[in-house]
Amino acid sequence: MDNPVILLSAIVFLPALGALLLAFIPGNRTEEIRWFTLVLTLLVLVLCACGLLTQFSLDDGSDQMQQVFNKSWIPSFNIYYFMGIDGISFPLVMLTAFISVLAMGASWSITKHVKGYCILFLLLETGMLGVFMALDFFLFYVFWEVMLLPMYFLIGVWGGPRREYAAIKFFLYTLFGSVLMLVALLILYFQSDLVTLAHQSDLARGNRATLVWEELNIHESVTEQVQQELRKPADGPAAAQIHTFNFQALAAMGQQTTLFSPAWQRTAFLLLLIGFIIKVPSVPFHTWLPDAHVEAPTPISMILAGVLLKMGGYGIIRICYPICPHGAYDLAYLVCALGVVSMVYGAFAALAQTDFKRLVAYSSVSHMGYVMLGLGVWSVAGPTYDSAYWNMGIKGAMFQMIGHGISSAGMFFMVGVIYDRVHHRDLNQFGGLYGRMPVYSALAIGIFFAGLGLPGLCGFIGEVLVVLSVWKYNMILAVISASVVILTAAYILWCIQRVYLGAEYKGPHEESLTPSTTRERLIAGVLLACAILFGVLPYHTVLKYMDPTIDRQVQDLTDWTRTVKDPIDDSATSESPDDQAAVSTQQQSAFEITAVGEADQPLTGGTKGELVDLSPSPAESRP
Amino acid sequence: MQEVLPKILAAATLLPLVSFFIILLAGNKLKSHASTVATLAIGAAAVLSFVGMFGYWLGENWGELEKANNAGHHETTAHTDAGNDQGDQHHHGDDDHGHDAKHGHGDDHEHHDDEEADDQHAEGPQHITGNYYLLGKFGRLQLTISYYIDTLTMCMFCMVTLIATLIHIYAIGYMHDEESEYTDHEVTMADGSHLTRPGRYHRFFQFLSLFCFSMLGLVLAGNIAMVFVFWELVGICSYFLIGFYVERKSASTAGNKAFIVNRVGDFGMIIGLMILWTGCGTFAFGDIDVDGDGTISNNTTVVESGLFSQVRPAANHYQLQTPDGLVAHAAQDELQQAALDSQLSSDDEAMHSLLADKITELRNDDPQDISRPRYGYWLLIVAGLGIFCGCVGKSAQFPLHVWLPDAMEGPTPVSALVHSATMVAAGVYLVGRFYPVFPPEVLLVIAIIGCITLFLAATIAITATDIKRVLAYSTISQLGYMMMALGVGGWVAGMMHLITHAFFKSLLFMCSGSVIHAVHTNEMPLMGGLWRKIPYTAFTMLVGCLAIAGASIPFVLGLSGYYSKDAILEQAFSFMQTNTGSFVSVFFWIAAGGAAITAFYMFRLWFMTFAGAPRDEDRYDHAHESKIMYAPLLVLSVFAIAVAWQPIEAFTPIKDLSLSNLLESARPAGTGGDQVALTTPLTWPDEHDSHVSAIKVPVTLLAFATGIVGIFLAAVFYWWKFLDAEETRLSFRPIHRFLLNKWWFDELYDWLFVKPTHVISRFISAVDLKILDGILHAIARGTQLIATCWDRIIDRSIVDGLANQIGRWTHATGVSLRIIQTGQLRQYVMFIVVGTVALFLVISFF
Repeated sequence: MDNPVILLSAIVFLPALGALLLAFIPGNRTEEIRWFTLVLTLLVLVLCACGLLTQFSLDDGSDQMQQVFNKSWIPSFNIYYFMGIDGISFPLVMLTAFISVLAMGASWSITKHVKGYCILFLLLETGMLGVFMALDFFLFYVFWEVMLLPMYFLIGVWGGPRREYAAIKFFLYTLFGSVLMLVALLILYFQSDLVTLAHQSDLARGNRATLVWEELNIHESVTEQVQQELRKPADGPAAAQIHTFNFQALAAMGQQTTLFSPAWQRTAFLLLLIGFIIKVPSVPFHTWLPDAHVEAPTPISMILAGVLLKMGGYGIIRICYPICPHGAYDLAYLVCALGVVSMVYGAFAALAQTDFKRLVAYSSVSHMGYVMLGLGVWSVAGPTYDSAYWNMGIKGAMFQMIGHGISSAGMFFMVGVIYDRVHHRDLNQFGGLYGRMPVYSALAIGIFFAGLGLPGLCGFIGEVLVVLSVWKYNMILAVISASVVILTAAYILWCIQRVYLGAEYKGPHEESLTPSTTRERLIAGVLLACAILFGVLPYHTVLKYMDPTIDRQVQDLTDWTRTVKDPIDDSATSESPDDQAAVSTQQQSAFEITAVGEADQPLTGGTKGELVDLSPSPAESRP
Repeated sequence: MQEVLPKILAAATLLPLVSFFIILLAGNKLKSHASTVATLAIGAAAVLSFVGMFGYWLGENWGELEKANNAGHHETTAHTDAGNDQGDQHHHGDDDHGHDAKHGHGDDHEHHDDEEADDQHAEGPQHITGNYYLLGKFGRLQLTISYYIDTLTMCMFCMVTLIATLIHIYAIGYMHDEESEYTDHEVTMADGSHLTRPGRYHRFFQFLSLFCFSMLGLVLAGNIAMVFVFWELVGICSYFLIGFYVERKSASTAGNKAFIVNRVGDFGMIIGLMILWTGCGTFAFGDIDVDGDGTISNNTTVVESGLFSQVRPAANHYQLQTPDGLVAHAAQDELQQAALDSQLSSDDEAMHSLLADKITELRNDDPQDISRPRYGYWLLIVAGLGIFCGCVGKSAQFPLHVWLPDAMEGPTPVSALVHSATMVAAGVYLVGRFYPVFPPEVLLVIAIIGCITLFLAATIAITATDIKRVLAYSTISQLGYMMMALGVGGWVAGMMHLITHAFFKSLLFMCSGSVIHAVHTNEMPLMGGLWRKIPYTAFTMLVGCLAIAGASIPFVLGLSGYYSKDAILEQAFSFMQTNTGSFVSVFFWIAAGGAAITAFYMFRLWFMTFAGAPRDEDRYDHAHESKIMYAPLLVLSVFAIAVAWQPIEAFTPIKDLSLSNLLESARPAGTGGDQVALTTPLTWPDEHDSHVSAIKVPVTLLAFATGIVGIFLAAVFYWWKFLDAEETRLSFRPIHRFLLNKWWFDELYDWLFVKPTHVISRFISAVDLKILDGILHAIARGTQLIATCWDRIIDRSIVDGLANQIGRWTHATGVSLRIIQTGQLRQYVMFIVVGTVALFLVISFF
């Protein structure tokens, strides 16, 4: 377990291995297949809990990637099997493993082609976990696509009456997004150059560097190549470029070199952003979501809302912001505006729905708007570079992803429970369920209140953190985002009134309104318990793990803002950012990051004028 | 005390939560014992609160009471001699200090020390504050669950737990029907029968417990964000309790209405929170010693400066000052410019001190100086208005008062506890708690809103016939009184009315519940003459009516309402006198008129219910009352009579222990003197000035007169029947209709907000289905079309054509080659030989 290669690979590929094994089990032994799959998902959760949770470091300096490894995969194209977790991905990995178990528990209602379903389900889990753990852009892309196909079949085969339409819509939308992502990936790959980056790092500059090479987790063989290039005499032939897919190296290039010009950064940012907001989904790319949810079977809806939507937010925070800060900074208003529009639009649309599942789907659109808004509020301006509010916004967005993962999965599950009984979802044909199924209704109302953002439940924390962080950025956006609380209350309460309250049930199949089963109660109970736990102890359960990484990322980008976008320092620095576009291919960076900020001092003991030290300095030398 | 008291109060707060979870999980097994669990929990909380109050808090702070008492008396005597024009020099000379503000505060310390003795209770109340645990930290910002305990907190704890315990006991009797099968006569099923369902006795107590937890948490809260958290939680408890009869459409709609209207208020509150959070970087009320209890950090002893000390810094003699952060937030451009000019980019220390100087320079808190912009001051006003907006929602003030009357759908104990005594008073409590942060302009708005509310609700109460709705409007009206009192500078008056009102209004509600329980209707026209059947209820309700009317022997003794209502009127009068000629004099006259209306509708209620001949013999005959329900009434009526009494001098050890002294010792820092608004020419007079005899005597007499007139009129109409109410109603038909329809607020809001929202939501839904998906489908069809064309033109003719051509060529070659396929072995051997030779020849060339 101490070996990250084995641990992370086991977590990611255990489900896929299980899928392979399942292929040899006869398809008519459905009960065994279900239990096997459930046990496998549980095993992944246990691995995550025992392997990752217990070893997740929160000490000083834990802002680095943990459990990281980098193995050769396709070295000729600089593609590596490179994975690891940090405060951003770790909570999402846990969420994925957790929701997968619950969704598998909810899969007992699936009776058609159980074997095929379970195989696809497990492949899907591999894809999802891989996306969150991959640190190589190409690997990330592969997992992203791996996840897409099982989802397509799961909706298209096990879905409702319009399943083909919904599956195709989902598939095409997502594929469109991934094509844009592929373009951005290639743009970034061909402009990247590790040798240039190395000039900024301690590899070339010793203690005066602002970058510790080892923290980038570059594969040893590549590091050797880079060192060879660096040893070439300055007047000799120009050093060859070494491209990379390494997220951390790309982020360092985006922030500390001029390799990616502002214009290219904006382009790449926009391409990536569209790719990711399709997944989030944000208005106007959200129309696949209601259809996909309405047609998907309950457990797949849970996965879709609980995990898949989070990949968009994850992509934005992991890829868009650190790698393309110019794009992110210049288009921050776009991100925020998309977030606010989604919040309002989703809430209004939810209010008008008569289909229970569509209502929940639109509530997801509204809630994921908070994520966009929180990520976007780049309010690091003014003379003091106060990044605390942006920090809060990002943490709020991250928390909102976790909280929404719990609450929306729960909401879809609750819809599924009632749909399994009466086979309709018309909000006007429910009523009186509280009298017929009291335990189920109580759990459902609890989970819906988590979605409403009631304090003490998980939805509140994310929403309030995001909303409070916005005023500093823009007052108008802040006021609009605050007003959404009214609409959210309206559609959720109205929905509860129509479904659970009232004197009698108004729809068909009244006789099948049987009390909830233990399995259903267990799943809903676990989700509600999590919602309460996260709502009451947000710091100790979630935020604690995110803090170091997000603090560091925000600090890095704040320093970047200060150096590159800063009106005060502009007068001191000779180039304005746009001038730097012309020199993007130069070996030497056009500007140096000056030592800024208390939190991110350069290497200790760094007396200026020391000889250039080519050996990588040990990471322990950082304060 | 520092360590123990927060734990005691936390325990008192958590006990009901424990009870909630016990009943939640084991409710079906507990059955009727659920009430025992809940009552024991809240009873224990009450014991803890009183132990905390008398054992710890007052034990340490007895001196404060004496000081408070002296302040009151001192003032009275001084001003009786000097007249009230002279201002109050020994009261912290506020005018002077207001001017000091603009000189910066560094050099004020010495000056301040000189006046230390005089400033004694400008310093603000004794309090303890600290963190329980961390919710999240973001750079230098942190959100916590914390506590702020002062005399006000202690008073609220005692009041809430005491009333809640009595109501729990009362509810054991009131909810008796729910213990077994319950037939709901207000719900008619599709087949015409009434709904019969299992009783939900335990669920009722479960939510009552959750409510008690939330309410106590709200009172204990040490920061405004935590107030907001519990604010929402009491809201959701209120939602559950209003909608307790879930089968009734009216109940669930009323619950929704209550919650959504409250959310409108919360929307404003969030804006206030945003401004404070962005400007001040903290939500804490008091200065929190972050290192104090080790829960937050262990490195340094950082004191997180709370909102109170940011808005009213000690260096500014606790006078209002726009906080640095708000100035900086409003003057971003100026500061940016200053930073640019300074060229200090890499020196953070210097930059910070430069900015601090610049902020001090930019701040303009001088009422006289209107030439310079008041950076940040409007933000402070908007923040104050935002917070107040939340209070408007929670305390059902105009224009968000519409939910409270509908909330009467809940069982009566809920109305007594949640919708009169505690939760709806939370808005007033928050205004009182947040008082130091409100600039005078916000106080003016509070006074205006309070004034409108008290009048509006009082007029509606005149025509209502539902006994609980009369009380609901009365509650709104009384909350308006409290708001107005706070708005005109009467902090103690407002908070005292909050406490006294809690006792007499919960008493009134419980009496009405007892009446409803006896006659099974809410409609007063179906009652009458009930005092013979339910004498205890009639008597205690009379006490409640007298208390709310402020009955007294002037200057000697009165019921609790007498003290608090007169204090409000006195302050309103003082406010009117200080600002002669301004429109604000209407506050006093409306308040005085409102007092008459209050007395009128309350006694109308009493006479219609208990006096005269029974109007519905059948209901009258079956009326009865039970001991478990009137016992709490008797206890409460004792409090309704005596809670505001001043102990007689003979009891020397506790002579200072009175409600007004307790509250006086809780008066927030810096609010003891005159306040001057920056943007309007109004002055808020020192509340102590309102006790001088030049004000007290006329106001008391006037209040007495209004009460008598109200009661007399009610008697004329509904007891002696000298005048016929029906005839009067006919002659004032338009007004009556207007009032009966509650000023048409529900219809107005429906037309203004609810309908447009539905229109927009349907529109957006249509946009999704028609436009966005339409575009998508058009693209899809377009792609399909292109693909088809592609298929026809390129694929079939060119690509396929080419392939077919190649195929044909291959075929032709094959056909032509068939000629040499003769099947003769000799020929094949020859081919092989020739071929091999040719191959070798070719190879030999290379």
